[in-house]
Amino acid sequence: MNKALFLISLQHELAMAIGNKLDLKAMLKVFLKVCFNRLDLTSAHIYVYCDQSGMPSKSLPLKGTSYKHFLSIPKNKRGQSWSKSTILTNFARQLNSRQKNISFRCDNGQYLSGFIIPEYGLLTFETHYELAEEVQKALQPILQKLATSCYTSIVHASLVKEVHSRQLIEEKVAFQAQHDGLTGLFNRQHINLLLGNALEDARTYEKTGSVVFVDLNRFKPINDAMGHTVGDKILLTLAHRLQALSNENIDIGRFGGDQFIILLKNLKGDYQTTIDQLIAQINQLLVAPFIIDTNSYKLTCSIGYAFFPLQSSTVTNLIKFADIAMYEAKRAKTQQGKQYQRAMSDKIKKRLAYIDDMKQGLEQGDFKLYYQAQYNHYGDIIGAEALLRWQHPIHGKESPALYIPIAEESDLILSIGQWVLEQACRDIKKLEQLSLPKSFNKIAINISAKQLIQHDFQVSVLEAITQNDIPANRLALELTENLLVENIEDSIKLIASLKENEIDCAIDDFGTGYSSLTYLKRIPASVLKIDRSFVTNIAQSSESAAIASMIISLGKTLNMDILAEGVETQEELNCLKELGCFHYQGFYFSGPLPFEQFSQLFK
Amino acid sequence: MATELFTWYTVSDTLNDFKSGLSLAQESGAESLLVLTCSLNNYPEEELNALFTACPLKLFGGIYPMLTLQGDLIKQGALIIGFKETFDVTLFTQLNHVTTENSLEDFITSTLQEKQNFRGQDNFLMFYDALISNIEGFIDCLFECLDHGIKIAGGGAGNLDFIQRQCVFTNSGIHSDAILLVALPRALHTSVAHGWKTFDEPFLVSEAQGQTVQSLNYQPAYEVYCQTIENATEYTFKDTDFFEIAKHFPLGIKDINNNIIVRDPILAKNNQLQCFGNIPINSMVYLLEGKIDTLVASTEKAAATLFSNLTKTTIPTTMIFDCISRALFMEDEFEKELNVIAEQCRSGTLFGVLSLGEIANSQSGAIRLLNKSIVISSW
Repeated sequence: MNKALFLISLQHELAMAIGNKLDLKAMLKVFLKVCFNRLDLTSAHIYVYCDQSGMPSKSLPLKGTSYKHFLSIPKNKRGQSWSKSTILTNFARQLNSRQKNISFRCDNGQYLSGFIIPEYGLLTFETHYELAEEVQKALQPILQKLATSCYTSIVHASLVKEVHSRQLIEEKVAFQAQHDGLTGLFNRQHINLLLGNALEDARTYEKTGSVVFVDLNRFKPINDAMGHTVGDKILLTLAHRLQALSNENIDIGRFGGDQFIILLKNLKGDYQTTIDQLIAQINQLLVAPFIIDTNSYKLTCSIGYAFFPLQSSTVTNLIKFADIAMYEAKRAKTQQGKQYQRAMSDKIKKRLAYIDDMKQGLEQGDFKLYYQAQYNHYGDIIGAEALLRWQHPIHGKESPALYIPIAEESDLILSIGQWVLEQACRDIKKLEQLSLPKSFNKIAINISAKQLIQHDFQVSVLEAITQNDIPANRLALELTENLLVENIEDSIKLIASLKENEIDCAIDDFGTGYSSLTYLKRIPASVLKIDRSFVTNIAQSSESAAIASMIISLGKTLNMDILAEGVETQEELNCLKELGCFHYQGFYFSGPLPFEQFSQLFK
Repeated sequence: MATELFTWYTVSDTLNDFKSGLSLAQESGAESLLVLTCSLNNYPEEELNALFTACPLKLFGGIYPMLTLQGDLIKQGALIIGFKETFDVTLFTQLNHVTTENSLEDFITSTLQEKQNFRGQDNFLMFYDALISNIEGFIDCLFECLDHGIKIAGGGAGNLDFIQRQCVFTNSGIHSDAILLVALPRALHTSVAHGWKTFDEPFLVSEAQGQTVQSLNYQPAYEVYCQTIENATEYTFKDTDFFEIAKHFPLGIKDINNNIIVRDPILAKNNQLQCFGNIPINSMVYLLEGKIDTLVASTEKAAATLFSNLTKTTIPTTMIFDCISRALFMEDEFEKELNVIAEQCRSGTLFGVLSLGEIANSQSGAIRLLNKSIVISSW
């Protein structure tokens, strides 16, 4: 009676020990522990069937499915995993192949009893006594229940894994939504959100904060010349450095390109001092050069900032103000940073109004092309440079030095450039109808940086030539030395391609930039124009004469024509002649003339 | 060859006497000292701490309700045994802070790693604070994590009032909430006995939580326990202190080989029984009864088995961990139990403690917490 009771209670206790935990290993461990105490075991082991990835299998094992050692109590034997025990391994192999309960008496007098956990694995007990047959039979229904619990645990684990993967993806998506992909800093959207919150706090708790805009100086040339990979590494390095500034009151974000934004909250007391210190820290972070792939890059930045809620209490305005202030700092070439001032916006408004005036002027025909003739040493006209003139309806004649940079900052320079191209072609057409001297070659127009980087620039040049039905060799393009160097590879390709179409290029203002002679050698330009700064008073300045002489020699070596700009006196002319320069442009010969007057020169 | 070279005891409860005994022990040429004191002594803790921390020899032991030496019971006083070897001592502390199974495993694993997994050390004595709440969790986990079978004997230290106090000795002082494992330099042989017999049909433990049995056969555990005893005996619980009757009728969990693990019901509260050891839910428990003669006979048999197995070349040291409740049950006749051991132990020093729970290996090798039992250990 008591034996029967014992078996029933054993079954009951073991059955109740199954499924108390969801994790497979924990669940099986609880079961094994109860077996251990109740059956007076020396050791207990579980092997489980695994899928191809080595994970416990939740589906019916296929023939030849592998099983692996999963759990033992005690964990190891004499410093070795039980999976390395030959006796146990052989026993498990036998048990698996027979797929029915087996027993074995070891040489040391211990017994091994093996059981099948249907569809899930193998169970082995080591005892110091022989496990009675009725006990083994009593275990059968328990093993069936254990199998069901294994299934539940494995399914649960796969669900947990799935939920976890989903969580990770969601976290990643959430992170990506808030952070910049390259630098890991907050992105523009999230900075906007943080600024919105900071503004709300500042309003509620009467606090002050600041938006600081940081923009790298001359980053674009590095990016263009060395490639985006290098540029990205610089940005990443800078982001890491800037990140060092962050704390509970300072958030760092990347606004885009090489622009970073720093949000300061809860500024206390003398907040101007805090900002000054921050600016000093930012500049300090840039002191160390950026070492990328063994090259060293030294960079500076321009910084602008605005306070909130003092200067604005809207996110858009604050960022705009800090941006405006940063551009002011960049124009002023200062590293001390500039606080936004209303006057800066007024200046921008005026600038915008001026651009509007230019647009109108362009539409109303207020822009004119003047031509300054170019001569050879015999006094024959060899060509001319087309120069833009604008008659402002209120201000009168505007200086190109004023409106060209403004037009270049906006896209208006493209419209102006296109007009110049087309007008020059029209004028060339008119000239063609005159009897031009043999010495006359071409009309040159100035090209801006923005025009040059337009992908359809060459097409528009060729179209203008075709539309006006003029010989292509009557048109030349003047590009400044600095413009060429900023985008050297593309420039070389473009100039070569234009040359194939008989359109020559001249390098303007030569000598003022610092172009590498290696580059110059590769640029297929036809003319080098000596900048007027080396021509003025050349007779009195040995330095100017030396530079001009060098440019002349260089031009000859590279098989380029040399033309001196800004020739105003006989003395200068004589000097240039002596140095070997035989083409000239300047007031000594002729000033810029309206087309009608210019065309009179040929009569 | 004797394994110990110094034995000193006192039945005085004053610290000065103990101090002089400790001085003698330090001058005896011993390398390690096993220090056992009675809980009834009047030893100020701070001074005891200072003595132990100043002791240049390896020191271990604890405070127990009573001590034994040969066939005598020491109700107050102290006992110091000096050994020739330096014993390796490992202390586990703050066990009550280790509340989950995983943290206990981490705790034990990290200590085992520090001790190179006790490589080459297979024989241990264990002195521990009897009021550690999860001593069975600890010994289960120790067995599970150790990569080799160990032989162990031990007993719970502390007071009969069941208030947790500092009771485990090391060179760093007296500790509570601590377990001390002392590696022995020779093979340990143990023999376990209790002598309790079943006297009724088993009960299903239908509700239990650790050491508390809430219901037996789906009835309140206390009611079932009392009714069964009252129906079968002359005892009535109504006007008697619970423990006065319960000490005669422990519970027993029978394993597959009919070995009984005794569990001592020490408290009745809210119709539940509080035992001195875990009772697994869904297990079958028996009510046990015992007679002094059968208990003593069982001890005599265990002692005879043990001593007959020992080699004749070594004069062994024998330490017993005898449950205090056996002494409370046998009362004046308790020394009979000590005498039957002393009669079997014909050489070497025989001493021991009356403990609150005993530790020994089961036949399978697992480590078990016992109640109302005696563990005789020789090395």
